[in-house]
Parts: sequence; structure tokens; C-alpha cells
Amino acid sequence: MAAVFRQTVAMLRGLLITGRYLFRRRVTAPYPDVKPPVAARFKGRHWLTLYADGLERCVGCELCVIVCPSQAIYVKAAENTPERQVSKGERHAEEFQINMLRCIFCGFCEEACPTGAIVLGHDYELAGYTRASMIYTKGMLTEPYPGASGRDPGREV
Amino acid sequence: MATDPAVRTVTLTIDGRAVTVPPGTTVYQAARAAGIEIPIFCYHDRMPPLGACRMCLVKVDRMGKLQTSCTLPAADGMVVSTTDPEVVAGQEAILEFLLINHPLDCPICDKGGECPLQDQTFRWGPGRSRFVEAKRDFAKPVSLGPVLTLDRERCILCWRCVRFGEIIAGDDALKGFERGFTSEINTPFTLPVESKFIGNTIAICPVGALTSRTYRFRARPWDNEPVPSTCTHCGLGCAVWFDVRGGEIVRTRAREAPAVNDIWLCDLGFFGHDYVASGERLTAPLVRRDGRLTQASWEEALDLVASRLRAARDRAPGRVAFLGGRRLSNEDALVAARLFGEVIGTPHRDHRVDAPPGGASLEVAWGLRAPLEEIARGDVFLLVGCDVTEEYPILWLRMKAAVDRGAALLLLHARRLEVRRHARWERLVRADRLAAETGALADALERGAAGPPPGLEAAVAAIAAGRRVHVVVGRFALDGPGGSAVLAAAVRIAEHSGGVLHVARGKGNDIGAQRFGLLPGAGGWPAPEILRRAAAGDLDVLYVAGSDPATAVTDRSAWDAARRGVGFLVVHEAFLSATAEAADVVLPSLVLPEKDGTVTNLEGRTLPLRAAVRGPGAARGDREIFSLIAARLGALFTYGTGDELFEALRAATPGVEAGAILPVAPVPARLAGDVPAGAVAAGAGGGSAELILATIDHLFTQGATTGRCRGITALAGAPHCLIHPDDAARLGVEPGALVELATGHGAVVLQARVTDVTAPGQVLLPRGFDAVSAYALVRWPHAVVAVTVRPLVAAAAGGAP
Repeated sequence: MAAVFRQTVAMLRGLLITGRYLFRRRVTAPYPDVKPPVAARFKGRHWLTLYADGLERCVGCELCVIVCPSQAIYVKAAENTPERQVSKGERHAEEFQINMLRCIFCGFCEEACPTGAIVLGHDYELAGYTRASMIYTKGMLTEPYPGASGRDPGREV
Repeated sequence: MATDPAVRTVTLTIDGRAVTVPPGTTVYQAARAAGIEIPIFCYHDRMPPLGACRMCLVKVDRMGKLQTSCTLPAADGMVVSTTDPEVVAGQEAILEFLLINHPLDCPICDKGGECPLQDQTFRWGPGRSRFVEAKRDFAKPVSLGPVLTLDRERCILCWRCVRFGEIIAGDDALKGFERGFTSEINTPFTLPVESKFIGNTIAICPVGALTSRTYRFRARPWDNEPVPSTCTHCGLGCAVWFDVRGGEIVRTRAREAPAVNDIWLCDLGFFGHDYVASGERLTAPLVRRDGRLTQASWEEALDLVASRLRAARDRAPGRVAFLGGRRLSNEDALVAARLFGEVIGTPHRDHRVDAPPGGASLEVAWGLRAPLEEIARGDVFLLVGCDVTEEYPILWLRMKAAVDRGAALLLLHARRLEVRRHARWERLVRADRLAAETGALADALERGAAGPPPGLEAAVAAIAAGRRVHVVVGRFALDGPGGSAVLAAAVRIAEHSGGVLHVARGKGNDIGAQRFGLLPGAGGWPAPEILRRAAAGDLDVLYVAGSDPATAVTDRSAWDAARRGVGFLVVHEAFLSATAEAADVVLPSLVLPEKDGTVTNLEGRTLPLRAAVRGPGAARGDREIFSLIAARLGALFTYGTGDELFEALRAATPGVEAGAILPVAPVPARLAGDVPAGAVAAGAGGGSAELILATIDHLFTQGATTGRCRGITALAGAPHCLIHPDDAARLGVEPGALVELATGHGAVVLQARVTDVTAPGQVLLPRGFDAVSAYALVRWPHAVVAVTVRPLVAAAAGGAP
């Protein structure tokens, strides 16, 4: 008899805790219907940003490549020509790839970038069905229009 | 110089350490010998000190101001400090000054990551600039030629490139212009820059002012995996680094090899690697079916080749012949020689595909007879028909060093050489007079006191006074009219002067092919005879590897006839060359930068090859192909690793050691075919030749490999011929105009360059331009033919050379 009583009390005490949280503000979110906001300096998917005039900021210097601790970035540079001025100055990135499976989102690339070309955005939905699809190429990384990544296209660096 | 042993050394104190050096040593050199680092920009240890950049400041006791250590001779009792606060302040100030105008565009600069200015600013610089004003602004980049790009903003005016042209190469390719703030480097006369060695200025530029047009922006230094190997273009075997990025050779750099190329390369070495990654490489075997070359499997192609070889061998081993070897490694050549010599048993093997019948090239072993280091100590150089900068550029750097020390350079050729302003004596003769002139020189030398004929005095005097005479006979002389007579005369000159006779003949790995069995065996035919017998139907199978006879044989019709006459032609090729197009089976092979093994240079030195990249598609190494065929013929070559193969090389030829010289066979004192001097082929019609055609060597060409290297193709320019102004005026040929050269055998159309570098009465046609081949105009046995020149266009627009 005493045992039954003890068990009932224990159950009620447990329920009491449940009941207490039942009326508190929820901490979970019904993802993916609701996407929780991230911090302003959250480091998610990369963008290659543009100047306000549409020229690419990236000059293909590969400083992101050399600083990357997980060796996730591949850059192949080429020369700008008068007919095809891709970025300011003489040099631009002909190919730019980031292997999102390798990336650890440390943000070193953003720190190393001398022109502020590469920024880590807020997008974190980066799943894919194949390994190949996880290698983001220059076309996928370049922001579709100046400022699309959320960074001011008029900033200096 | 003092002879007293007591003053043979001086002892000074650097940073508290006593350093003892020979007198004449500079403070910088003394410090470096003691392991004390002093920053430098303008000083380069292959050139005398200059003191232009002021970076190497040190403080010396009892000297009022900071001193430039690179120009300051060490003296006994000197007390030097490299770390004094005054020195540090001085170095910081110099760097701050250098960086006033140097743009901070390191991220997009090709030098970034391997830049002395970057490194030294990091180590000795002030860390912060006080300069806020606008920097010097120049238009950039400036193209100084097909391979050289100048960024004047980055230049710190150290004069290394200018002094390289003055001191090392002797071509004065770059000079400084203007003064002070507006100083800049440029070419002294016109664009493009004219040099065979301009890649070296890119290499020694301490900033990113001079960069390579072909390497521009292709990689950062840390992307590249450097592979040590050997350059296989001209045959001197310069040590190189192939910088590989992503399975592709992106640039070639000189690798230090004091005995061969020191730290230099020629531009063919620097820019001659693009062909390896060409998209036109053959990737699968081709077999001729119904008259057309179609892709086949290796099994099918090898079975077919083996069955035809077996059938021919069973009929008679001598019905098989092998041609080629220049583009094979030593190991390839050894395995080829075993396959054809032992397994098939034919003596008809020859690598000397480009030697004409009856020429002196077939009479004598090719190669230099003294090490390059010994040549650098020579005091007389007689070049007979050898255009040293066009054929063996690095050999010229050795001679230039000797010429600067007072050695006499004597030139005898049918064209004026680029190096003629360093020559003590120069004789320009028509191609068919070369033998007579060489003979006259030998006669005059032997007559001695009798007094040389006019024009030869300087040469005779120099040779007579010389103690270390080097006579270099080149391909132009050996294969030209009276080649044997030239060689015989050169032998006499060398003998009389106690000098060394060099046979400057052979490109790529010709010397290795010569050494490891790709020469006719007992009763074997030399290459021209192989072609003649093939045309006559005496051969069933002709096997070609490491050569392109269709463009290399000096009579195109002889090759065509041989092709028609031979039943079955097998070719190892990297590209669908003219030879491959005519073949029955084409086996895709690797090129030398893709092979492990060894090559032999012109000195007879065994040098290492290391595979920098993998071959394309199903292409295979030549020796692997030979082994597979041997296996199908019942002979198993069991060479496991490269080491075992090298052991086999050493066993086959005693004296072969890695890096060491095994001299080539000496030149016989008496030559077989003593052709009287001046016995010259007349023209096609047999009439007196008013204008004759001779072929010359150019460093930059447009052949199967060089034509696929961007920089080299651009340096080579359009196919052209050289005509003397007198002849041009007589024939109405304008400079740069298109002309038709015709002999009785054919005609070609190309640009005429009117220039007095050629002797009157002759047209010089550079070989190696596959599109316009001189060999279509030549018929054996004549090395030189009469030619008619007909201007086609008054003057091509802007076509001046």
C-alpha cells in the first residue's frame, strides 16, 4: 500500500514539472514550418559579394584558400581583359569552389579576404543528396545582385 | 694580389663573432658565410656588387655613416654590427622609402608568397607606413614581348634585370630610362624585348615588376608542387623545377646545377612546357582500317604490331628497321635497342633521323668533348657553323663568362650571330663557302709564320696564342655542303692548337640514344640508307619512336618515298604528327616530362628525369610499349623498377653514373670521307647557283611540341626567310613582304625578312616551322640548292620583322 502511494506521489511530482513548463514560453520551434532567427554574426553559407556597380569583389588572390583550415576552397584565377572586366584591377577568379562538406564555418576566409568579397551569410540549410552537389561553384556562391547577401555593396571592404 | 701567406686572410668581427675570409670578400659575403643574415635586393651572387638598393646597411666602427655591406670589402680588424639600433632604423627607413611607391597589391601579384620585398618587409620593415600621399601612378601592366610583362609601379629599381642582360647574357635586353621618381625599365630599342634569356630576369626580379605572360595569375606559389627534373629541349640537359598545379605543369623554373646551367635557363626551357597539357595529345592507339586511322584497344594494336614484326623477322630480321630516339629516355632507348637488336635481331637502328646522306653528322659521334665547366675556362672559342644562342643557349652563357675574362670569340658562319658584338673575329660566308673558309683557316694556322691571308690574321693570331682552344662545329657546318671537309679542317685546327673539338649536334636525348644502342649495328644502315632501302621495298616494317621523320628528314620526298615503299609503319607519338598521320599503327606515348628515368646531355652526363604529371588517357611510356611487344615476341624483359633499369644501363655501358659525365667517343683523327673543300651541290638544274637556299636553326620554332607552347609560338613569330638587302633590292622584295621560294622540287610561300645577318647570294630558311618546311625544297644528296625568289605582295601591312 505504501509503495503504491509513493509511486503516485512521484508521478504527480513529475507531472507538476511538466505542467509548469506547459505554460511557459516555448523554446523549440516547429522547424521547418517556422525558421528560428539566427544571430547577426552567425556564420552560415558563403556568398561572393559584388560592388554596387556589379563588378565582382573577388580578385582570385587565394588568401582564403591558404588560410582555410579544412582546405575546402579551390580558386583558379584569370586575367581581366578590356572586353571582359570581371572585377576591378587585373585579376579575377575564373573558378571558385567551396566544398561545403569540408567547410567548418570558422569564418577565417572572410577574415583573410582583402577585398571583403567572401562573407558568411545566415543560410544554414545546406543539405544535399550527393557529394558532388555539396561543392558550391562560383555561380552558386556569387550573390545574384549587389547586396543580395545582406551586406552593403557600397562598403569599402 | 698579395702572396705573403700572412695576409692571405682578413679577420673581422661581425656582431661580436670573429670571421676569417680571403681578402677581397665583401662584408655581406663574410656575414653570409658566417650564417649572419643581411637583407639584400640589388645584390645577386652571380653578379658583381652594385649598391643600388641600400638595403644591406651595416654599422662599422670608426666609419661615420652606415655602410652598404655588399660593396664594402672586408678589412682586417673591422668591427661590424648588423643589429645596432642605428642599423635597424636605417633598414626600416630604406624599406619605408621603397614602399612609398610600391603598391600594396600583393594579393593579386604573381610574386606574392615568394617575394623578397614581402619577406623582408615582414622581417625588417617598420610595420607601418607614415606615407599618406598618393603613390606613383603608371599605366600597367606593360607588355614587353610575348612572354614578359612589366609593372612599373612595383619596380624598386634594383637593376638586377638590366645587369643580367649586360653581365650574364650579354644581350642588353632591358635598360633603365629616365631619372629619379620617373625611372623605369624598358627595352633599349624597340618592342618586343629581344633576348633568349628573358625568363631569368623574371626569376631574379626581387619584386613582381617582371612577370611571365604565360604564367600570369595561373597559380599562387603555395599551389604548386615543384618536381625536380631535366629540360629536354636543346640537349644540354638543364636542371629544372616543373611547378605542377592540378595535374598540369604551370611553369618551369631553373634548378641550381653548377656543373650544367648554374641557376639559369633559356626561354625555350622557361616557356616550353605547355605542349604536355595540350588537348591534342593522343589518348588511344590508332590502327589503319580501310585506309583510315581508327581508335583501337591496346591489345588489338599491340597484337597487330607484334604479328607484323614476327612475320618480318621470320622472313629476315633485316627487313625491320627502327628510326628515332631523340625524345626517348635512356631507359627507353636501352629497351628499344634490346627489342630490335636482340629479340628481332635487326642491325638497322638509327636515331640520326635528321642527318642527310653523306653528311659529316654520320661520320662522327655527337656531343661535346669537354665538360661545360671546362669550356667556361677556355680562352679561344671558334664556332664553325654553330649559332650558339639559337642552338645551345646555356652554352653561350658559359662562353660569355669566359669572353668577359678575355677569351677570344671567333665566328665563322653563313649568318651573323646574335653574339657577334662579343666576337674578336667574325667571318660571314655563303653557305657553300664554309668548307673552303674553314680549310683556309686551318691552312693558315698550319703555315704559321708564312703570314695568314688577309682577313684571317685576327683569328690565326688568337688561335695561335690560345692555350685552351675550343672548336665547336655545329649542325649547319656538318650537314651543309662539304660538311666532311669542314669537320676535317676543324680537326686540323683543334690538333694544331692543342684544343678540343666539339660536335655540337643533337637535341633532346640524342646522346642517350647514341649511347644506348640506337645506332646501326654491325652491317646496319644509317638513317638515310634506311629510308632509301624502305623506298626500294627492302623493308617490311619501319618502326618509329621518339622522332617525327616526316618533318625531321631533310628531304621530304625521301621520307614520302620510304613511307610508300614500306609495308607497315608503326609510330609512337604524342601528337598526330605528319608521321603519325601516315602510319599504319599509332601508339600514344608519354612525353619526357611525364617519364621517370634518365637522359644524357651533350656532355655525356647522365641526368635524372622525374615524372611531373601523368600522361593523358591511355598513353603509355615508350619502354613499357617496347616491353609489351617483346613479350608478344616471346622475350620477357623483367625490369621491375626504375632502379633495376638504371642498373641495366650501367651494366650495358660501364661508366654511366647518375650526374656524372661519361665522355662520348673521340673524334677520329682521320675521317672516312675526306671530301675536297668546296665540292658543292649545284642547283636543281645543275646551273650556277646565283641564289642558294640553306636551312638554319632557330631556338623558337613552331614544330609539334614548340607549336603547342603559347609563349614559344609567339616568340617564333610567322614563318619567314632571311634575305640580304642587296638581293632583296635586286629582286624587288620589300621587307616583310610575302615571297615564294621555289626550287625545281617545290615551292613555299612565306614572309621575307630583309636583313644583313645573312650573307649575300643566299636565302636562309629557319627549320622547325612545320607549316612551311624547307625540306620540301631540298633533294638529297644536295644539302644546298639553288632557289628563285618571287615577291608575291609588294609589302605586307606592318609586316616588318
